[in-house]
Amino acid sequence: MRRFKVTVNGIAYNVEVEEEGATASVAPAPIVRVPVTPQQPVFSASAPPASAPAAPPIAVAEGDTPVASPMPGKVIKVIAKAGDKVNKGDVLMILEAMKMQNEISAPVGGTLKSVNVDAGQSVKPGEVMAVITA
Amino acid sequence: MATVQEKIDDLAEKLEKVKFGGGEKKIEKQHASGKLTARERINLLLDPGSFVEIDQFVHHRCSNFGMEKVEAPCEGVVTGYGAVDGRLVYVYAQDFTVVGGSLGEMHAAKIVKVQDMALKMGAPIIGLNDSGGARIQEGIDALAGFGNIFLRNTMASGVIPQISVIMGPCAGGAVYSPAITDFIFMVKNTSQMFITGPQVIKSVTAEEVTSEALGGAMTHNSVSGVAHFAAETDEECMQQVRYLLSFLPSNNLEEAPVVDTGDNPNRTDPGLASLMPDNPNQPYNIKDVIASIVDRGEYYEVLPHYAQNIVTCFARFDGQTAGIIASQPAIMAGCLDINASDKAARFIRFCDSFNIPLVTLVDVPGFLPGTDQEYGGIIRHGAKMLYAYSEATVPKVTLITRKAYGGAYIAMCSKHLGGDQVFAWPSAEIAVMGPAGAANIIFRGDADAEEKTAQYVEEFATPYKAAERGYVDQIIEPSETRPRIITALNMLQTKRETRPAKKHGNIPL
Repeated sequence: MRRFKVTVNGIAYNVEVEEEGATASVAPAPIVRVPVTPQQPVFSASAPPASAPAAPPIAVAEGDTPVASPMPGKVIKVIAKAGDKVNKGDVLMILEAMKMQNEISAPVGGTLKSVNVDAGQSVKPGEVMAVITA
Repeated sequence: MATVQEKIDDLAEKLEKVKFGGGEKKIEKQHASGKLTARERINLLLDPGSFVEIDQFVHHRCSNFGMEKVEAPCEGVVTGYGAVDGRLVYVYAQDFTVVGGSLGEMHAAKIVKVQDMALKMGAPIIGLNDSGGARIQEGIDALAGFGNIFLRNTMASGVIPQISVIMGPCAGGAVYSPAITDFIFMVKNTSQMFITGPQVIKSVTAEEVTSEALGGAMTHNSVSGVAHFAAETDEECMQQVRYLLSFLPSNNLEEAPVVDTGDNPNRTDPGLASLMPDNPNQPYNIKDVIASIVDRGEYYEVLPHYAQNIVTCFARFDGQTAGIIASQPAIMAGCLDINASDKAARFIRFCDSFNIPLVTLVDVPGFLPGTDQEYGGIIRHGAKMLYAYSEATVPKVTLITRKAYGGAYIAMCSKHLGGDQVFAWPSAEIAVMGPAGAANIIFRGDADAEEKTAQYVEEFATPYKAAERGYVDQIIEPSETRPRIITALNMLQTKRETRPAKKHGNIPL
């Protein structure tokens, strides 16, 4: 037997309802309200724990073209130096990554404004390794 | 009462009138902005004189906001059918000179009609998009129109080739029809695609960006990978679409047309022997290999500016279309990353849908390590490639030119994923991981580790261990690659392979 309070047209009625075949009354499971709070990520991709202090990003002036590292690796040879005139496709340096001596070539022609890496240096993907100015 | 002759003359007059779309002023404006009109584009796309237009007299039935007074010749979209290289295709071209090419109920109904016809008759459909978006005055009827188009795009997916060409603005919901289709072409400087435009972005996030930088042809060809091909002009774009169609069958029950290319199938190329550098850490350009082995050195790259560490292209072997998937050691060492996996998987599935054999060239050091890749879900994206290759039942021929390591070896159409014929050059290194790394683990701490490592490299960085197990069918001389691949493709022509009946698989998207 379960008891309900039913309101019809503003008048409250107490009703008892028996479920056929029910042997014992079953208490309704309590509804637990869980407060909705945004879950904190265990760790966030934007701020990975225990990361080394990031080197200050190299500023690229408006109109200049950065030569960014396509993937993590180690610069094993720097071929061009700041001040050099380069054509599109000229090899600027060799980046060893994925067991390959990857040729890093100039994305555009121009003058090499700066070379920001030395041989033996490790680079992260997207790191500006050189800057070309038109 | 009008005579019959007068009625006939009246028809001619009416048909002549709709040909001018939004009128001469609007057409001039269209030309001034570097764009051709819908009809000019169709005439460039199709064989001369083959275009048959339908539904010229369809008219909108919107009477809100003064729309009842708006004349919209052809409802702002020219639809019909014609031929490309003598083969039937369906086409629709949005007419920007008519109410900005905006999509309303009846505009969509015209597109839906040719979509239904294309599917029924089993012929490719090409959509030329140049539209300001939904016709706002028509409210949810315009949205219903979009939905009807998307549904048919999906029904036709894998049944007929669907090609979208973006030749003007394509924004908001409109982008999703092209996105569902097989290939997207974009014209540089005159076409843009985005979900929300620069103004909305500025008002919501204060980010300032031009529409070209946000959704221009090169943005989608090189950054997002949304568009597969870029063209300089409308004319060149139409030529490219014709060229792409030349590689494709009309539907999933047909084979691609065989073309007499005049190239000797037994042609060998001694140059391939010296192409590979002796040092396995030196890059070379895989496109040199592709150009050497395909008919007349001719291939058409899909997504040439995106994820260049893997090359996907259509080419012919002895006149037969094949889809080539090739690691590119010259870019990012040819590794597999998120974008490369995505690019290859979609290309593989297109080819499999349309009975186009797959030729895979492997020189892969592995999957790209790093937090970017792991956080970006390289596991999920890399899995697409494994899935796509495993699922494909077309002939699959694989050539391992050099590195084939670890999971990436498996992923690049290995014997284990159903490669029908796996070839290797003698320079191939097929192993569980880079030999130096493997030896480091096995011989760690041994007094004579260095000597053992050298021996391990000598013994295991070869194709012979894989050949011992039959994972490689033949080790071949580089010079005879072309005849070997052609012989294998000919042998595989009658390949029949079925998969368990199912509604559809659940590719990790």
